[in-house]
Amino acid sequence: MIEAQSLTKRYGSKTAVDDISFTIPPGSVTGFLGPNGAGKSTTMRMIMGLDRPTHGTVTVNGKPYARHRSPLSEVGALLDAKAIHPGRSARSHLRTMAATHGISTRRVDDVIDMTGLSSVATKRVGGFSLGMGQRLGIASAMLGDPRTLILDEPVNGLDPEGVLWVRHLVRELASEGRTVFLSSHLMSEMAQTADHLLVIGRGKILTAGPVQDVIDSVSGTSIRVRSPRAAELARLAARDGVTITSSEAGTLELRGTTAEAIGEAAAAHGIVLHELSQQRASLEDAYMSLTQDSVEYRSETTTTSQKEENR
Amino acid sequence: MTAAVAITDTATTALTPDAVTTAAPEPTASPAARAPRTPQPTLKARRTFLGTMRGEWIKLLSLRSTWWVLGSTAGIMTLLALGVASSLKALMADPLTAHAMSNANGAALVSSGFQLGMVTIAVLGALVITGEYSTGMIRSTFAAVPTRVPVLAAKAIAVVALTTGVAAAGIALSYLVTMGTLSKYGLVPALDRAETWRIFAGTAFCLIAAALFSFGVGTLLRSTAATVTVALTVLLLLPGILGFINVHWVQTFVRYLPMPASQAFLPSGDPNQGVGTPLSATVGVLVIAAYAIVPLVAAAVMVRRRDA
Repeated sequence: MIEAQSLTKRYGSKTAVDDISFTIPPGSVTGFLGPNGAGKSTTMRMIMGLDRPTHGTVTVNGKPYARHRSPLSEVGALLDAKAIHPGRSARSHLRTMAATHGISTRRVDDVIDMTGLSSVATKRVGGFSLGMGQRLGIASAMLGDPRTLILDEPVNGLDPEGVLWVRHLVRELASEGRTVFLSSHLMSEMAQTADHLLVIGRGKILTAGPVQDVIDSVSGTSIRVRSPRAAELARLAARDGVTITSSEAGTLELRGTTAEAIGEAAAAHGIVLHELSQQRASLEDAYMSLTQDSVEYRSETTTTSQKEENR
Repeated sequence: MTAAVAITDTATTALTPDAVTTAAPEPTASPAARAPRTPQPTLKARRTFLGTMRGEWIKLLSLRSTWWVLGSTAGIMTLLALGVASSLKALMADPLTAHAMSNANGAALVSSGFQLGMVTIAVLGALVITGEYSTGMIRSTFAAVPTRVPVLAAKAIAVVALTTGVAAAGIALSYLVTMGTLSKYGLVPALDRAETWRIFAGTAFCLIAAALFSFGVGTLLRSTAATVTVALTVLLLLPGILGFINVHWVQTFVRYLPMPASQAFLPSGDPNQGVGTPLSATVGVLVIAAYAIVPLVAAAVMVRRRDA
């Protein structure tokens, strides 16, 4: 469980995270979605006590992270695949982390096996590929068998097998009752992995909720029909709850009905169809329309703050 | 909103969370991807200061740079002692230096390499912390020990332990390689004299102070290059450069720089050494201690406040 209350972080005049409040529930995967520079990593660093909030508080399992007596068993974090000294071997890196909490070397070897790093465990991290570094970061996060996992862009640089593995891993961790909070700038990835979404843009929470609700709120399904007898078809399809628009002659956009219903109605009346397709705003389109609003919103706040400075 | 693309994207077919759970295939290449079954932690884990110290110890010993710096420190000390011993013949023959040399202290000659050793060990003090900031490792470190100050304490202790070890090794090696030459002039330091051990201890003290000074400065500056530059300037360059400025307050300042201050309690092996009136031995020790402690305290205060 992660709870943030009016969390704010400013770097000089730039507001990276702007007064956000949220709760990440245990037992599910929550996706933190936003474009680069939206404030995802800053928020995660504040959760981990690495960055000090300018304003507001954030707690993990009821306490600020730094107050926990065994921090690595509370939260495992993959914050940045580069948060590892390149001159050390993977195993040495994990051993230094484990030593602070008296975690056994056996557990170190377990997480190395778990993340598929056995063959390179004694190699220096400097020579690792992005994907291997990512696996090592996940191994570090798993080290303390934590109740909460915070993973910043975990699939970044992973091959398809690795992406599947991460997806499977986080689902399993959540099913065990753990809190899983992972960030991404790819909505399609989130749609396949997360139960809940927290969408952030320019430091503000844009929307939050179950994945499907978030997607539905920004994209509706519509049916596109092309027919020489479009007007006749429109009369047939018209009933309560169905909205019909026509952008050009012979083409209809219908909402609130199904492709099957249109197809059957057309066949029953012998109407020729040139096209019948289900239209869905793609996830990326939905996401773009979400974050585009935040850009507009942001430019408004910039001008007001400039006015304040000029005063 | 209405921007529409035909449903060809396979990703959109598995939108519901339930579908994801059942559709996610078993990973093929990672058969061991199986986490412990219980939601409550079963792993025995508790952060302790002793553990933090062990972690820092493993960190230091698992980097090649540590061994390079330790080796070069002991090596430089030994080579310089050998150089000084080899110059004895010429120094004794020269009437200008012969008198001073007859009063020379054997222990001081043996440990005369510590001045350059202070600079190389300062590199270790810097790397211990700046190496973490430059690589991002510091975020892993502070995630494991979010209270941060114990990390600094553990690092300081590890640095002191390694520096003590390398000081002992450097002095022992210097003693062995110069023994032959020094014995000709009756200058082999007597190991049963308190004075000998006082000088050896003072040498180790200076090396430890240099390492801690650099560690404290490194924690504040977070950059290896900047820290090594500061350490090199304060430890080695400033006394020489400012020595030429014959202004009273500058000369007073120079006496409080680490190298001249160390001369207050370490009789120099070099007869030409000495700038102005030396400090008393006690003040010298305190000044050197301040170089170690003041940056460390500032670092401990700042490390809690700043973002990692």
